[in-house]
Amino acid sequence: MIPASFDYHRPTSIEETLSLLSKFGDDAKILSGGHSLVPAMKLRLAQPGVIIDIGKVPGMSEIRQDGDAIVIGALVTHYQVESSDLVKRLCPLLAQTAEQIGDVQVRNRGTIGGSLAHSDPAADYPAAMLALGAEITAVGPKGKRTIKADDFFVDMLTTALEPNEILTEIRVPATGSNKVAYLKVPQSASGFAIVGVAVNLTTNGNSDCKSARIGITGLSARAFRANGVESGLAGKALDAPTIKSASSKAADGQDPLSDIHASGDYRAHLARVYTQRAIEQALS
Amino acid sequence: MKIDGTHTINAPRDIVYRLMTDPVVLARCIPGCEKLEPAGENSYTTNLKVGVGTIKGNYTGKVTLDDVQPPAHYKMLVEGKGNTGFVKGSGIIDLEASGNTETLVKYEGDVQVGGTIASVGQRMLQGAAKMMASQFFTAINAEAEAAAKAEANQEPVKPPSHGFFRTTLRWLAGLIKGWFGRRSESQ
Amino acid sequence: MASRYVGQKIKRTEDPRLIKGIGHYVDDIKLPDTLHCVILHSIYAHARINSIDTEAAAALPGVVAIYTGADIKDKIGNVPVASALETLKVPPHPVLAVDKVRYVGEPVAAVVANDKYIARDALDLIVVDYDPLDAVVDPEKTAAGEGPLIHEQFSDNIAVTWKLEGGSSIDDAFKNADRIVKQRLVNQRLAPIAMEPRGVLARYLPGENELTLWSSTQIPHLMRTQVALMIGLPENRLRVITPEVGGGFGSKLNVYGEEALCSFISMQLHRPVKWIETRRENIQNTIHGRGQIGNMEVAVKNDGTLLGLKYKVIADLGAYHQLLTPAIPTLTGLMLSGAYKIPAILMELTGVFTNKVATDAYRGAGRPEATFIVERIVDVVAQELNLDPVDVRRRNFPKPNEFPFATATGLFYDSGNYDAALDKALEMVDYKELRTQQKKARDEGKLIGIGVSSYVEICALGPSAAMPAGGWESATVRVEPTGKVTVLTGTSPHGQGQETSFAQIVADSLGVDLNDVLVIHGDTSIVQYGIGTFGSRATAVGGTAVVMAMDKVVTKAKKIAAHLLQAGDAEISFDNGKFCCVTRAPEKAAAEGVGGAVVQSPAAALPEPNPGKTVSIQEVALAAHLANNLPPDTEPGLSATHFFEPKNFTFPFGTHICVVEVDKETGEIEILRYVAVDDCGKVINPLLVHGQVHGGIVQGLGQALYEEVVYDETGQLITGTLMDYAVPKAHQMPRMELDRTETPTDVNPLGIKGVGEAGTIGATPCIVNAVVDALSQFGVRDIEMPLKPEKLWRLMNQN
Repeated sequence: MIPASFDYHRPTSIEETLSLLSKFGDDAKILSGGHSLVPAMKLRLAQPGVIIDIGKVPGMSEIRQDGDAIVIGALVTHYQVESSDLVKRLCPLLAQTAEQIGDVQVRNRGTIGGSLAHSDPAADYPAAMLALGAEITAVGPKGKRTIKADDFFVDMLTTALEPNEILTEIRVPATGSNKVAYLKVPQSASGFAIVGVAVNLTTNGNSDCKSARIGITGLSARAFRANGVESGLAGKALDAPTIKSASSKAADGQDPLSDIHASGDYRAHLARVYTQRAIEQALS
Repeated sequence: MKIDGTHTINAPRDIVYRLMTDPVVLARCIPGCEKLEPAGENSYTTNLKVGVGTIKGNYTGKVTLDDVQPPAHYKMLVEGKGNTGFVKGSGIIDLEASGNTETLVKYEGDVQVGGTIASVGQRMLQGAAKMMASQFFTAINAEAEAAAKAEANQEPVKPPSHGFFRTTLRWLAGLIKGWFGRRSESQ
Repeated sequence: MASRYVGQKIKRTEDPRLIKGIGHYVDDIKLPDTLHCVILHSIYAHARINSIDTEAAAALPGVVAIYTGADIKDKIGNVPVASALETLKVPPHPVLAVDKVRYVGEPVAAVVANDKYIARDALDLIVVDYDPLDAVVDPEKTAAGEGPLIHEQFSDNIAVTWKLEGGSSIDDAFKNADRIVKQRLVNQRLAPIAMEPRGVLARYLPGENELTLWSSTQIPHLMRTQVALMIGLPENRLRVITPEVGGGFGSKLNVYGEEALCSFISMQLHRPVKWIETRRENIQNTIHGRGQIGNMEVAVKNDGTLLGLKYKVIADLGAYHQLLTPAIPTLTGLMLSGAYKIPAILMELTGVFTNKVATDAYRGAGRPEATFIVERIVDVVAQELNLDPVDVRRRNFPKPNEFPFATATGLFYDSGNYDAALDKALEMVDYKELRTQQKKARDEGKLIGIGVSSYVEICALGPSAAMPAGGWESATVRVEPTGKVTVLTGTSPHGQGQETSFAQIVADSLGVDLNDVLVIHGDTSIVQYGIGTFGSRATAVGGTAVVMAMDKVVTKAKKIAAHLLQAGDAEISFDNGKFCCVTRAPEKAAAEGVGGAVVQSPAAALPEPNPGKTVSIQEVALAAHLANNLPPDTEPGLSATHFFEPKNFTFPFGTHICVVEVDKETGEIEILRYVAVDDCGKVINPLLVHGQVHGGIVQGLGQALYEEVVYDETGQLITGTLMDYAVPKAHQMPRMELDRTETPTDVNPLGIKGVGEAGTIGATPCIVNAVVDALSQFGVRDIEMPLKPEKLWRLMNQN
């Protein structure tokens, strides 16, 4: 619980952040809200020689509307997302997800950019990002690029970000009249998702599904789109048998994780049950 | 913790077996392996820099091959100690020829982890082990393909470069996506 | 005695400083020149130590000293165990491991440096060469003789076997039974997780040859005695201070190695030495609780009458004994009669060494285990006989006129009305209606369960004859010259609120303002020797000592008041802070009226008294200290000390009822209602009682649903942080509906029984009973705790 020593930098611009990153390379870690990195450092599981605290970099702490999308700065806290009227109005799924993350302290300090860049296999946001079709903006020495959520989550604690890039903002399409929901089974100690399911359905009225995006977290090493469920819903009337049969594919193709809190079998079962419940909740 | 798995390598069994017991190749393919030096018959000392994302640990230890039955079977023991604890793993590896050009590698092992990682990382351990196994076999596959190609063309082998971790991971991600993409399409 | 405070909901006077964060815990005490100690722990459950290389660590700038087991083994005594069990094997328990480590986390070396960061960096530079050995993890296999020896000097890993047999013939009971009901029941290992981990600051002053030890403990005086013995310092040279203590739950009712270690180092280096436990260390090194695997057998008649009970239990003691390790399961044995008349009881205990940290007292300490198994088996009996579990309970309760009630285990329950508490709880939930609703819900496919638990616990520990280190408690009550009252208690409150409740008692009795009473505790140089706070004893035993000391003060004050009022002692009344001269008793006046001064009353020597004239306690206190107008042969000052020895334990009781719904698809559990009716005798402060019951239920519920210390098969601690060890959180708690019945005890003059552990004891079986009831249609009789949803899901889908 006593971290190793490190050098501390607090850049005030993205350019300065990038130059620090390129200068220190692998030895450097970006500090945002610190709710994943600092515990790892206190346990000395992470011992970065250099901490680059981006908390004072301007322009990354706001939520704004940009046409049909919401743009969320990387430094926006979970509490900001959960309580933002803009988010609640244009993208309620995201607010619903944010309010289920960790506890009050975590939500007050933890940031959306930090959570996504850390890519915990049981974090809540990734499921929502996938369901929403979010785009993640990364800035590196070669400039800015956009990474689709579908391509962002590579493996456990591993994302598509390059070591010399930083995540600056997330663009989330407004969901309009879509039917959305995020449901999770929290692990009793940590509050992380044993399974978390984010549902985003485009419907004709209430009964026919035009398209579906389902993101699932916690089940396996990384959050994923439940393709089988999506194709089981798209273009169909959303009656109970359709929902049930589509949800039964929630864990297909996945290699579920097992730990002392839940076996792989049970996680897969929960993924199916909670997919169905999330769809039902979205439609209710 | 028990781990097991099966990987298909795109090369004939003789080549795969040779590569998977060659310390030079193993050094390139074991994730985070910085050193693999002979220390007696079928035994090597090693430095491993193992990590997943933010979490990293340095281990020094020993790799031993045992019950070596070319080209079908051997046992591998890995022991490492570091500041955050220790890792001890043993695995039985069986190779089956699958046609003339593919080899099915089956492994079954037991990994013991002690110290901080064991006490705080239980929810990630299994995933991390699977990830490292995948990295290893992905790298072996690349080695084997290169070796098979060289053998077929009677050229010297050009070992592929494994830019751990990111190159491999991105490659791996592509593969996984490909597999699952295919699978879900077929369903 | 006017009751301005006692019985009232008075907010804790401790709270403002704690809420504002301006109280002082050990780590808040900063002394100049302090060295920081960190400890290297074993990463193996069982290994031989070949060598420890500290050279690189010692070379790190800022490192002042490094100690290993070899360095201190002849200088610091072993960690003590207090136990009177005759056959107990007691292995040496060194402060730092010597030659061998026997659990993950065992202290191996200590680094002392100018700051804690340097000290921690140095730990990573120490190289320990271990030879790993197979670990002994499973208590049942260990009891069966499997596994290597943990302590080579013994022939096996069985630390103790103990048998308790009482009442009528157990064999006859089982012969005469209509039915014998058997069930395996497990109390899993739990971690106490006090909010404040342990901490030590030791300062040795060589000139004065005086050592001050700040320690986060529940037992400052016992700690002083034990640490003095461990380090060879005369006890009166050692001062133990417990500043704020952020919870203990029994985990600080102990003497660990770190206090002696830091004391020793401070004496060596002549600088203050601080060690603050991290949460990781707290989970892996501070004692665990529970850890019993038992097989229960009861002999019953078809109407549910209990005839006899046999409990064979394996206790997972861990690698070494801590202070009370082997005593805890024996307490379980004593409480096996539960709230019932069970004529014959047999317990056979096998305590085993395992490669884990020691188990010891954790909130309830042996009684939650007993209550859990008794309350579970009663439900299993009801299930087998197809009886209502409430009826089985009621049938076996001793009735109010049967108290004091002698159990087959040799205890005398002081007082009780178990039916009354049960009735009240049943009424609160409308039990009959509840069962109807349950049936209806079941017909609709919902899994509703109702759980009842009627507990009895043993509190106010206790008569010294039954305690390993004294069961009395002490108090001094002193009225200062200005009339302010200082109370010195030998108890050591660490969250229970005795600064408030003792002040309530004293303020009422002396008729002073609550804020004029200061309760001082936890400083062995200020407070007379005491025993400490544990076993729900502080108010029942320590509060009684306060009352007794106060009686002495009042007696003396009366004498002085009488002198000041020129009256006889017998003519002085004391009420609401005023001593008043009352009119002479008529018969006395009459006797005097007859004219014969045959009997020389003390007052007779004095001038005529002034009826109605008063003098306040404050005036008396001033007079006592000015001492220029005291009655003859009266010592100056107004202070008295009392050491109270209780004649018996007290036995609080109650009934908890909860209603749960189990999600048929996932096994998730929702608590729909939680009702608790507790009887802890007379109540001094209902707010404090409620707080204790709330906290107790939270921890009981934690055991039932969430908490479990997990070691893997190689002895690695898997639940090493709060990310995996599931301490219950506020949002996981149901609303608790609390009520009380009040059956006083005659064990102490306050009539109070104690309430610190009741919630924990009552809650665990209540919740498990409810969940098992919910799953009864699947043929489920028991589910091992914690009741993880996955287990329920598997049980519902096993066929």
